[in-house]
Amino acid sequence: MAAFVDLYTEADTFLHRMDPRVKIVAVLLLSLLAFLLSSLSYLLILLAFIFLLLFLARASLSRTKFALKFVLRFMVLIIVLWPIFDPSGSPVLASLGPIKITEPAIWRGVTSAARVGCLATVWYILMFTTSQRDLVRALVKMGLRFDFGLTLAISLRFLPTFGALIDSIKDAQRARGLELSKGGLVKRSRNYVAILVPTIVSALRTADMLSLALQSRAYGARSDRTYLRDLKMRASDGVALGVLVAAFVLPALAKYVFNIEM
Amino acid sequence: MIPSAPSSTREKIVSVQRLKFTYEGGVEAIRDVNLDIGYGEYIAIVGGNGSGKTTLAKNLNGLLRPTSGSVVVGGKPTSEQNVAALARIVGYAFQNPDYQLFCSSVEDEIRFGPTNLGYPDDVVHNNVEKAIEAMNLEHVRKLPPLSLRLGERRRVSIASVIAMDPQVLVLDEPTTGLDAEESSELMQRLKRLNDEGKTIILITHDMKLVAEHAKRVVVMAQGRILLDSDPRGAFSDHEILRQSNLEPPAVTQLAHRLAAYDIPRDIISPEELVFHLMKAIGGT
Repeated sequence: MAAFVDLYTEADTFLHRMDPRVKIVAVLLLSLLAFLLSSLSYLLILLAFIFLLLFLARASLSRTKFALKFVLRFMVLIIVLWPIFDPSGSPVLASLGPIKITEPAIWRGVTSAARVGCLATVWYILMFTTSQRDLVRALVKMGLRFDFGLTLAISLRFLPTFGALIDSIKDAQRARGLELSKGGLVKRSRNYVAILVPTIVSALRTADMLSLALQSRAYGARSDRTYLRDLKMRASDGVALGVLVAAFVLPALAKYVFNIEM
Repeated sequence: MIPSAPSSTREKIVSVQRLKFTYEGGVEAIRDVNLDIGYGEYIAIVGGNGSGKTTLAKNLNGLLRPTSGSVVVGGKPTSEQNVAALARIVGYAFQNPDYQLFCSSVEDEIRFGPTNLGYPDDVVHNNVEKAIEAMNLEHVRKLPPLSLRLGERRRVSIASVIAMDPQVLVLDEPTTGLDAEESSELMQRLKRLNDEGKTIILITHDMKLVAEHAKRVVVMAQGRILLDSDPRGAFSDHEILRQSNLEPPAVTQLAHRLAAYDIPRDIISPEELVFHLMKAIGGT
C-alpha cells in the first residue's frame, strides 16, 4: 500500500524531461478544456488523448490499474445514478412511480462520467512523470514561498514512513494481546488509543529531530535561497506549451466567439 | 551445511520445521529454517542486518504466518492460533519501546497486556507486581512511562510483556542505546528470569552480549541458519561469523591472534584468556 503513495515512475520519456511548470500548466488547461467541451464525442477524443500521453509516459501497467480503479468506480456510479435523479427529456424509456428513466438523461450521465474521467486521469500524467522534488521545485518557482514548498515536500516524503510506523506499532500492541477488530464500537475506539498515542508521540519526536537537523544545516540563515538545480525552459518546452495553449484556445474561441457547439 | 543442534532431551516449546517466509512484494526473508527450542533455554539469534532474525522472531508469535513449512508453539501450529492466544505463550518485546508505551502510568502500562488476555483480577495484580519487581520499576511505578529515560522505558516495555506471564520471552535488540551499566543490569535481570524457568530468545548482533549470557547461539545469514551451537563453538568459526557480517568479541579475536602461543581459539571471556596466558608464560 505504502508504495503507491508516490505514483512517480522512473523513466526517460519526453514527458519526464519536460519542465514541470509546463506540465502543471498543461494539466490545468486540459482540465479547463474538459469543462469547456460539452459533447460526448469531443470528450472521448480528449480522454483518448490523455490515455495516449499516459501510454507515452510508459506508466507501469500495475500502477495505472491501481490508480484507475477508483476513477472507474466513480464513473460507473455516475452512469448508474444520473438517469435516476434526472427525469427531464424524452423519450421516457421506463418509469417506476416518480422515477423516470429518459434517453437524454442516460447520455448526460455518460457525458458527465467521461468528463470526470478526463479530469481525474489528466492529473495522473503529472503524477506519473514528475518526482515530488520537481513538483515542489516548480511550485516554488511559480511563486509558492519556499518554506511552504519544503513543508509540502517533507510531508509527502514522510507519508510512507508513517505508514510503516503505524504497522510496527500495531504489531507491537497485538503482541500484547490487543485485538483491534474485537468488541463493540466503544471498546474498539478505545483500542485505537493504544495505536494513536505511540504514533503521535513518535511523529512529534521525528518532527523535533527533523527541525534540529534542518537548523544544524543552517536552514533559514538567509531569507532567499539559492538552487543547485535550476529549472530552465528549453525550446521543446516552449513548443509543448504552444501546442497545449492552442489545444485550449482554439475550442474556446470556437465556442464563445463563433458560437459553434463543441 | 547441516547445522547441528546441541543434544537436548528437554521438551520442546517451539518447533520450526522447513519454514519459508516471503514478504508481500517478493522479498524472501526466510528461505529454509529448522529450529527446535526447549523449555528454559537461553538462546541468542544472531546475524547481520537483513539476515532474517527479526522475521523469524515475528513468526514465533504469529505476527507473521509461514509462507510454507510450520511453526509449532506449545504443541499447536501458529496458523491455528491468533496473535492474542499466542501472546500467552510467546511474549515479544519490540526494539523500540516507544512503539508500545501509551498509558499515563507505568503500572497501567504493565497492566494492559494481562488485562487484554482476560486474566482474572488477582492474577493480573500478581503478575503486575512480579513484573515491576523483575524489572526494578518500583520507584517509577506511578510516573508516565514516556517521561522516563530510554533504559527505563525499555524495562517498562519488557515488564509489560513479562506481566502476560509467557513461557517464552523474545527480546529484539534489548540493549541498543543503553549504557554499559544499564545494559549489564538488564542482562542480570534477564538471567534471573531464565533461572526461574523462562525461555529467553535474544535477538542481537552484539557478540559480547551473546558470549557472556547465551547458552546457545543460532547464527543466521540470508534467511538460513548457518550454525547452531554453544557460544564457544560459534565463535571459534571465524569464517561463518564473517559470512553473516558479525564480529566476534574482542577477547576471542585476541585469542585467535595468539594461537601460535598455544592459546585455544574458543576463548569467550577475559578470565579464560588471562588463565591461558599465565599458563603459556609459565606462571602457575
